[in-house]
Amino acid sequence: MSPVLLDVNGLTTRFATRAGSLHAVEDVSFTVAEGEIIGLVGESGSGKSVTGFSILGLIDPPGRIVAGSVKLNGRELVGLSHAALRSMRGREIAMVFQDPSATLNPVLTIETQMRLAIAAHENLGDAAARARCIEVLGAVGIPDAARRIEAYPHQFSGGMRQRVAIAIALLNRPKLIICDEPTTALDVSIQAQILTEMKSLAARLLVMYAGRLIEAGPIAEVLRQPRHPYTRGLLGSLPGIARPGQDLVQIPGAMPSLIDLPQGCAFQPRCGFADALCATMPALNGEGARSFRCHHPLAAESAP
Amino acid sequence: MTTAEPAMLVEVKAVSKRFTPQLSLGDRLAALLGSPVETRTVHAVDRVSFGLEQGEVLGLVGESGCGKSTLGRVIAGIHPPSEGRASIAGETVMGDGRTPLKRTTRIQMVFQDPFASLDPRVRIGETISEGPLAHGLVSRSDAPAYVARWLTAVGLPVEAAERFPHQFSGGQRQRVAIARALAMQPDVLVCDEPVASLDVSIQAQIINLFLKLRRDLGLTMLFISHDLGVVRHLCDRVAIMYLGRIVEIGPAAEIFAAPRHPYTRALLDSVPKLVTGSDELVTFKPIQGELPSPLSPPPGCHFHQRCPRAEARCRSDAPQLAGGADDGTGHRVSCHFPLAGEA
Repeated sequence: MSPVLLDVNGLTTRFATRAGSLHAVEDVSFTVAEGEIIGLVGESGSGKSVTGFSILGLIDPPGRIVAGSVKLNGRELVGLSHAALRSMRGREIAMVFQDPSATLNPVLTIETQMRLAIAAHENLGDAAARARCIEVLGAVGIPDAARRIEAYPHQFSGGMRQRVAIAIALLNRPKLIICDEPTTALDVSIQAQILTEMKSLAARLLVMYAGRLIEAGPIAEVLRQPRHPYTRGLLGSLPGIARPGQDLVQIPGAMPSLIDLPQGCAFQPRCGFADALCATMPALNGEGARSFRCHHPLAAESAP
Repeated sequence: MTTAEPAMLVEVKAVSKRFTPQLSLGDRLAALLGSPVETRTVHAVDRVSFGLEQGEVLGLVGESGCGKSTLGRVIAGIHPPSEGRASIAGETVMGDGRTPLKRTTRIQMVFQDPFASLDPRVRIGETISEGPLAHGLVSRSDAPAYVARWLTAVGLPVEAAERFPHQFSGGQRQRVAIARALAMQPDVLVCDEPVASLDVSIQAQIINLFLKLRRDLGLTMLFISHDLGVVRHLCDRVAIMYLGRIVEIGPAAEIFAAPRHPYTRALLDSVPKLVTGSDELVTFKPIQGELPSPLSPPPGCHFHQRCPRAEARCRSDAPQLAGGADDGTGHRVSCHFPLAGEA
């Protein structure tokens, strides 16, 4: 197996609000090996984005990483100075966000924005910097990059803008790219184009619920045989899998407030298997390559 | 082909909708004096015709900018059509826009974003009863019971009537919006992306609610969505739109199993699918290129620039929506070179 690139251990990020402390990310641990693609899934409010932001040190007050560590190639990132984080961001870890029209500056040409990203880390000459920009734009599938580089963001479609955002993330050849819902804002046909470009179909899946990792494992196994009732409920909620016209296997209720989480397992008020034991927090137990946080995991049946 | 079609509850006949921005005073003067003025007309809907049977759920599918929402609004009587006619039980919904014809109470709409479609300062009970009271569907003294009935129908507690929208989650708000539409006792419900802004587990709850309402009330629905999975699950028939035109329409099961228009095929192929039974876990094939601008749609078939089957004829000659096989299912496709219709 490739060496570990990113090691997140016990990451806990909270936000101070007037109503109390909001537990956005609680005790999240996982590793990413070099060259590995990991999928982090969960509904809104589950803590996926805050996990990504925490890794990059992008949590601003009233938010704070209250515990845990994030190591990139063995180097601790939590607690680094602003200057050190700035020199790390973009060069070692880059991020692609959901909405490309909000991440690109509308009054600067694509070239100016890309050159700024290079200049932040490297002193390249004019010609070399421009050549790098054009090369990367071509690599993410922007036709006629040498000419399009002089355009402004509004002259691009949504899909093309997301390609530009990805190109900017790739500019400084980072070791790790964090993509926060990079295709959610795009139409299906454009989504497929971006996914092909990124070859981003994950090998390992992490499932989050109410700030915690509740299941992890190789993607094929998790999808075929979820062990956590929430994961199974989520899969059952997808209309693409069920027979048309049949009621979907829905999860009752809604995600609890992160300020006022239920005792023990956060999923228990919505779970059909919950009993008295579930008032205590289950640990993330491992079974081979799989792990799940549940007192009553679904049975591991033999493969169909 | 002439098929003996059953009487349609909703009929849409050659409806077009164009949006032309108001010209400035200077441009209008210049036009009066005979100089050419550039008008930027958006052709949102282009000569669309279809029908909706009583009790049927028709899915209207397409990418953003294809005109599906505009078409829904024309049918619901929010926009007057530029040409053509939408009618319900034989009566025109809306004419030229200058003379509103009060049919719109019989068609109600549910919108995508329940945060934007509910008045934040009005209690839920009032939001639901306002329309029925104004149209005399219920008396003021019976209103609370009437509201309670519809709250129950959409799976909300009766006490919800006393609360404000901010006290509800997104899924619950969408239930309120559905209750408001149903309280008007409409013949037809037009739903514009009603589950698109909801999380997956909440989306499943609302889809199940639509299935239940369909069974209980025999609702006739036009269900507008970009989500093929949702449409496949909920709809009897599907119409696929591309740049203002319907390119294929037919029974949902048939269209999903054996699409005949290259765009429908490409759209189905471009959705990443979970294949839980095989080793190739996720499969999809992207469509080349992007939706052309509705300001200047390409001549001929609108899809020809992205179509792998396009020939010279497709670039000049717009195909008509026609029955392919004479199988009586009403499966029609607008293509010079349709696919054989095999899975």
